Amino acid sequence: MRKMNDFPLRYGLYIILTCSLWPTNLWAVENSECFECHSDESLTKESTDNILQAAITESLYVDEDKFEKSIHNINGIACVDCHADIEELDWNEEVPHALYLEMVRCVWCHEDSGEEFKNSVHMKMRTKGITMTCYACHGYHYVHQMEGASVAERTNSICLKCHNPNQFHDWLPSGDAHFASVECVVCHAPEVPRHIDLRFYDLLTKKFYTGDELVKILSLDFDKIIQTIDTNQDEIIDLNEFDDLFFMLKQKNIRPILRAELVADINSIAHQINRGSAQKTCENCHASDSPYFNAVSIILTWDDGTLERYNIDRAILESYYVSHFYLLGGTRVKLLDKIGLLIIAGGACTAFGHFVIRVLTISLRRRKKENGN
Amino acid sequence: MTNGKLIYIYPLPVRVWHWINASGFVLLILTGFQIRYAEMFNFMTLPNAIAVHNYVGFVVIANFFIWLIYYLGSGNVKIYIPDPRNLAALALRQVHYYGYGIFVGKPNPHIATAENKFNPLQQVVYLAIMFVFLPAQMMSGLFLWQIKRYEEYINLLGGIKLLDTIHVLLFFFFSSYLFIHCYLATLGHTPLARFKAMFTGYEEHRE
Repeated sequence: MRKMNDFPLRYGLYIILTCSLWPTNLWAVENSECFECHSDESLTKESTDNILQAAITESLYVDEDKFEKSIHNINGIACVDCHADIEELDWNEEVPHALYLEMVRCVWCHEDSGEEFKNSVHMKMRTKGITMTCYACHGYHYVHQMEGASVAERTNSICLKCHNPNQFHDWLPSGDAHFASVECVVCHAPEVPRHIDLRFYDLLTKKFYTGDELVKILSLDFDKIIQTIDTNQDEIIDLNEFDDLFFMLKQKNIRPILRAELVADINSIAHQINRGSAQKTCENCHASDSPYFNAVSIILTWDDGTLERYNIDRAILESYYVSHFYLLGGTRVKLLDKIGLLIIAGGACTAFGHFVIRVLTISLRRRKKENGN
Repeated sequence: MTNGKLIYIYPLPVRVWHWINASGFVLLILTGFQIRYAEMFNFMTLPNAIAVHNYVGFVVIANFFIWLIYYLGSGNVKIYIPDPRNLAALALRQVHYYGYGIFVGKPNPHIATAENKFNPLQQVVYLAIMFVFLPAQMMSGLFLWQIKRYEEYINLLGGIKLLDTIHVLLFFFFSSYLFIHCYLATLGHTPLARFKAMFTGYEEHRE
């Protein structure tokens, strides 16, 4: 009997205690609940375009597969973390949340980026009545991990949505070569830290080798790949270690090339884009001592979507291992300069030496002429 | 006022070609240095140096084809072709002259005429320059001018750095050659005689 009386009290206390210790988001709206409606491709709402100020029909469909691969989902950001004004869903209503939601403010999390953006040309456009939102460039539900993204992926998904690089770049020699290998913000946000990304590429299949493929080809232990390559364990792969790596690949009859690209670090400063502030001094890049090539790394992407980056000695860029990327003057082969000096000095010295001997032998010829006469 | 026999040796098209080529080479070499060594030289901005290099490059390419059409059309291209039967002997004789004979006052064993303008050493060098080195330089320059457009060809050649290596080694060779060429041009009967001949077309031969 006594036991029966204790039971509700004891278990009631357990429940209260558990609830007080449990994360509050246990009770939050789950993503799956949102997708009850938002996986419907026909879900729309009437809205107004913020640039054209015209009535538009806006899709409210969210592709769940694409969302799951987004950087926000990977990092555990749920729908209601951004749509924070949805606290609960009322399934008795046709629309289970408020009809008009607050605008999502990316700066709630991306505070630094917001600060940099405030002083950018994209913010100043507001004075002309055009509002550039974060997601106009970055999108929202499907924002990708850009860390290992190529120049094409970076620019196609952001800058090229609005800008045509073939306009305003008439002054730039070999513009298309720059656009293919240099990310826009490297020049347009000159303060942003940048680095060279190297990737193994097969010219025949026109595909990049993934980390998993290389591990399999080289029969390496997944966890020991860097120890195998970086033999002196100084956390930077130098030219000798690179020789060994290419030799190992050659032994497996694999002859990849190294594709190189100059990209910006994932850094809020990349938002600091202003009219007239772009890097236009070519010599800052096209010089052998340019700081633009101080950071060089090789990227290995893994099948689970993650990637690893290994630091490389910048001397690699001046070697013939990177023979499909050449930055005029900047990554020139220094050995050629020495050979060139020898060739030119050889020509000049031969001519000068011959001339000197002719001068020294003037008397000889004069004597011969006099004897002849 | 001359003391020797004047021989018409450089026809007008050859002289025009030569001086366009010469000024083109000087400009290409100067801008080439500015482009490759932007951190050392500062006589022109890099975009300007590249623009001048590109324009002049095309002038030199067009000029090469004028030269080729003229020499092939007139049949005079044979002056560039050495006779393999006596090439070694004649070349050695010419080497002996430049290495010894010229210092002791021996006459040049080769006497230039319109039909036999070049000594065997010149024949070998000019043949290599006009039919191998210059076309290679023009082709590599053309590919480097538009690297994205010619990307497939560049990849077939082993990549842009290898292509650049060819272009740069030839650039060093031509720069070096310019010293030798100009110096050898002073070895006429007066230091300026051959330079004048390349303007007037007439070379003076003295007994």
